[in-house]
This record gives sequence, structure tokens and C-alpha cells, in this order.
Amino acid sequence: MTISVSHVVKRFGDFLALDDVSLEVPDGALLALLGPSGCGKTTLLRIIAGLEVADAGRVLHHAEDVTHDAAQDRNVGFVFQHYALFRHMTIADNIGYGLRVRGVGDRERAARVDELLHLIRLDGHGDRYPSQLSGGQRQRVALARALAARPRVLLLDEPFGALDAKVRQELRRWLRRLHEEIHVTSVFVTHDQEEAFEVADRVVVMNRGRIEQAGTPADVFEQPANAFVMDFLGNVNRLPGRGETVFVRPHEMKIARERGGDGSLAATIVHVNPTGPMVKVQLRAVDHDALIDVEVPAESFAELALAHGDTVHVSPRRVRVFADAAS
Amino acid sequence: MPAETKKLRVEIRPRPAREDPPWVRRLAIAATLAIVALLIVIPVVNVFSEALADGIGAYWANLTRDDDTLHAIKLTFTVLPFALVLNVLFGVAAAYAISRFEFPGRAVLTALIDLPFSVSPVVTGLMFVLIFGLQGYLGPALRDDGHALLAYPVALLLVAVLAVAYAIVRPRNRRARRGLWKLHPALVVAGGGAAVFALAVAAQRALGVWPSGKSLEVIFAVPGLILVTSFVTAPFVARELIPVMDAIGPEEELAAVSLGASGWQMFWHVTLPNVKWGLVYGVILCTARAMGEFGAAYVVSGHIAGQTDTMPLRIEKLFQEYNLPGSFAVASLLTLVALATLVVKARLGREQARRAKGTP
Repeated sequence: MTISVSHVVKRFGDFLALDDVSLEVPDGALLALLGPSGCGKTTLLRIIAGLEVADAGRVLHHAEDVTHDAAQDRNVGFVFQHYALFRHMTIADNIGYGLRVRGVGDRERAARVDELLHLIRLDGHGDRYPSQLSGGQRQRVALARALAARPRVLLLDEPFGALDAKVRQELRRWLRRLHEEIHVTSVFVTHDQEEAFEVADRVVVMNRGRIEQAGTPADVFEQPANAFVMDFLGNVNRLPGRGETVFVRPHEMKIARERGGDGSLAATIVHVNPTGPMVKVQLRAVDHDALIDVEVPAESFAELALAHGDTVHVSPRRVRVFADAAS
Repeated sequence: MPAETKKLRVEIRPRPAREDPPWVRRLAIAATLAIVALLIVIPVVNVFSEALADGIGAYWANLTRDDDTLHAIKLTFTVLPFALVLNVLFGVAAAYAISRFEFPGRAVLTALIDLPFSVSPVVTGLMFVLIFGLQGYLGPALRDDGHALLAYPVALLLVAVLAVAYAIVRPRNRRARRGLWKLHPALVVAGGGAAVFALAVAAQRALGVWPSGKSLEVIFAVPGLILVTSFVTAPFVARELIPVMDAIGPEEELAAVSLGASGWQMFWHVTLPNVKWGLVYGVILCTARAMGEFGAAYVVSGHIAGQTDTMPLRIEKLFQEYNLPGSFAVASLLTLVALATLVVKARLGREQARRAKGTP
């Protein structure tokens, strides 16, 4: 089912949380709303779910205007950052709750709960309580609970934010696979660009209540629409160009012992981080006091025999210039 | 214990960085014990020893042979359920409103809930005498035609019940609303409420439900006792529930709503089970306080033996009449209630700690 949001505005007192936001989520997509905290991404998600009411604008689920529908009637599955499992109910009762309030019979409900317990790999855990599970298990239960009544849309608010790195990694892959299996239109909110790129097939970058850019992960990463997106999606160097600031990603720079052509800068190595396939080198430009980050493959790092304190020449292989980059 | 081991123990015993010198600890513990013994244990034990001074038979006779005492016990247990029901309804509604909604006057309301705790019970009693007493605002009307006036609160109650029923039955989905359901809820509650109120009052009059020209006694009667007891104990349930609801937060409720639960279902399935221990706790404290209320009850009851004396008032009267065994017998009952409250409270505390650890 497609979701479309058109010209939505939301204020909290004087704070403009969403400033005329329009968004299309294609049927079966797994879309990430990505942005720094306070950018309005969670508010947008809650407006799609009906947990928050927009001051202006419309929300459509498929072709149906649901702007004024209560959350109960929208048939969405919502997964909360801190799981929000019903603490006094067993796992099975939690998962079956959406069916219970819809008056589904006991037998049918039990069958669906078993099916979902299997899907989240918690067979036999149905009679436990949420407090007896680990964070990752709880989040899977929250997901199963949201899916039980076969929602038309699945919405996830920072679903992995409260988990440690290893579990988070595992759950991301699992969510990706799950989405390939059940293909429900899904939107998830995250502030972690790596997570957005790894899980989503579409990424929407938000900032200060507005959408900065929407597209596939490759589009957004390779062709950032503006300086904010470029900056937010990864480490970036701002170098002085001819009368304007140029943006260069650390892996799009090279280091040479000899002075290269135009655009080459002399810089002194101040720090080296050799962990990982790319060696991260930090340099200080000789003419102007700016720090430059460069990532070089381990082999070329060894070839050049770079060491702390060396003065070398760095040059960008690819530069980007943005009209809005006055800063 | 071999000397060697002992020596070793002394050496490895870690001394916490912020540990006070032993004499400070001993002094603090001794002072606390002395105060508790002097002010709490000895008087409480004394109540029971005085009550049982003439043997268990005399104790039992003191409680059951005296008609006025029996009446006082019955009256206390008549007033109690009214106060409890009123306070649970008020407490749950107030706590939910305060912890879940932002509205103007929220801070004022929170402060006002505590007012009955800070007002002296005697003043509380006087407040109600000034409203309902013969010289009070409503006094003359109540004296002339008090029973007939009951038609109004009964009609109001009916309107309230119907309004709640309307909120529950009204279809949530706009598309499912047909005919009269499409009317704006504010219009229905205001218009329908006024109509129901007028009809209910008229019907009660027509059917002669309440006798006319009969005076209704509030002060120096049971209704007054119910009013002051409810007022004095009003904060207990709300006070217990507000922090619990704040700590739990609205997320589980939102989850229930997103899963398709109606507000009514959300309340019974999620809100209430989550706060039930707080509620039980509030009810226990409320019970203890309601049974023990003296000052306000003294003012509004008129202290009429066999009619408006509650247990604490009866204790005082027996004491004034130099019937010490009788007085202490009734006092021992109230003390027992207090002790039972303590035990249940401690158990609930342990229960909650156990649940918090994750083995419900």
C-alpha cells in the first residue's frame, strides 16, 4: 500500500516540527526517515500512524484520506523505540493483543501467535514475560505484535536505537530479510546513516522540519542535494576552492609524496588510525590551519611509508560545490 | 575460629571510603531504636495490654455488649465503602488527567489535590457545616424541602453515566457513523445532557420518588460523615497513582491504540493493570485514614451516641466516661487495622520489587 503525505505542518507551541512536508512511500517499499534529533522525523512517523494530529495537510493510505481517522482505525503496525511491550502480559498475549481487540477467536489467535513466535525465532517463549527477555528479543516481540493483525503499513521509530552494536547489526539484517519475505510497506526512523543505507531501499533525509533529499541510498550518497546532506551522510572535508568552499569525502582524496597538479595541498600528518581496510590519516594543511581527513587503502599507505609528522601533498579526486554552502 | 584466619579477615575487610566512625553509627542506631520504642512500640503494646487487662472475655464483652459501640463500628464500616468508591473514581480520573494531558491549570490542579492533607480536619468539618448546616448556604433549603432536592444530584448522576456510555458506544470511525452519531460530541453531551437532566428531574417529581417538604439532614447525620471522610482522604489514591503513571509513561497505551484498541479497552487492558498495585496501595492507606478520621467527623457528626458516633469518636467518649477497658478495646480494633495496613503495604512493596526484577 502506498502512503502519501502532502503539505503537512505541525507545531508544538512555538516550535515548528514539520514545515510543509510532502512524501510518497511506494507500495512495498522499505523507507528510512533519516536526520539528526529534533528534525521532525518521529513526528512525521507518528502523524502517519495517527498517534499525532497534523495542524495542516493530508495523509493518504493508498487513495484513502485518513487524516482525521483515529490511530485505531488505520490498521498500522507501530514499533516503539523502547518496545512498549505490555509488561503485565505474557509474550503470547502481547503478540495476540491486536487480534484480541478485533475479536478474533482464541484458536485462530493462538495459531497466529505460534506462527509469529516462529517467525521471530522465539518458539516456546510464549508464556514468558517481557522482563524475562533480552533487549533484542523484546524488539522482535514488539515487531511480531505489530505484524499480528496483518497491518497495511509497518512503522518503526528508531527500532534499534536502544540495543547494543552487535544485536543492532543482527536485527538490521533480520529486518531486511523479513521485509523481503512479507513485503509490507514500511517506514523506519533513524539518526544513523549507516543503518538507513544498510536496511532501506529508499532514504529520506530530513532537517529542521523539512525534507532535504529523497531517493535511493546510492542517489543520496553519490549526489547529495546540498551541503547538509553531504555533511550528514558521512565525514567530509571542507576545503577552500576558487572563491567557494568545496566538499570532498575522505576516501575521495589521495596522498602523494610529490606535489601534484592544480588543487594539491601541502599538509602535515598529525594522526594515523590504521585499523580497518582503509587507513584513516588526519593532516593539518600547511598554508591554512585546517584539519583534513583522508582515507587511503592499506597497501598504498604501506607503499608511501607514511608516518606521523611527514609533510605530504593531498589532492581531491572528486569535489562537490553547493550553492548553499556559505558557511 | 583460628586466630590466623581472624587476623586475615581483619586485614582484607575493605573499608568503604565514606564509612563513618563506629561510634557515629552506634549512636545513630541507638537513638533511632530508643525513639521508636518510646514513641511507637510501647504505646501500641500498651493499647493491647490495656484492652486485654480484664481478660479476653471482658474484651469481647466490651466490643459486643455495648449497643453504642456496636453501632459505632457499624457506622464506620458504612461510611468507609462510600469514601473508598468516591476516592477510587476521583483518584484514577485525576491521576490519568494529570499524568497524560497537558492543559491550562494542570499545576494548580496538582497542588489542589493535596489541599485536604494540609487543611486541618477541624477546618474541613467547619467548611461542610458552613455549606450544609442549618446556618449554612444550603441549610434552609435542605431543611424545608431537602429530600425533593435529591432529584437534582440523581439526575446529574444519570447524565454522567449516560455521557460515559455515549463515549464508549459512539463509533470511532467516521465512516461507520450514521444518522445521529454524526452530531458533534460536544453538542450531544451539552444538548442531550440538558434534556436528560430536565426529563429525569421531571420524571422523579411526577412519580413522587422523593417526598416533598421533608428536611434532609446532612450535618449531624451520616451524609455529612461520608462527605468529610471522602474529602479528608481524597488525595490518597491520586497521590499514589500520579507517580506510577508518570513512571510508566504513555507508550504502552499508545501501543494498544495503534494495535486497534478503543480508549475503553486501552484503559482496562493496559492502564489499569499497570497501576493496580499503586491503586491497591492507595486504597489501603485510604481505608486506614477513613476509619481513623476524628477531627472533621467530630465537627459534622454532632457526637450523638448510637447515631453518629464513629469508632474514633466512640473511643473518645468511652475514655471521657472513664470506661478505659471499653475505650482501649475499640482502640485496639483501629490499631489492628493500622498494623494490617502495614503488613499488606510491606508485602506489596516486596511483590513490586519482585515483579520489577522480572519474575512475575
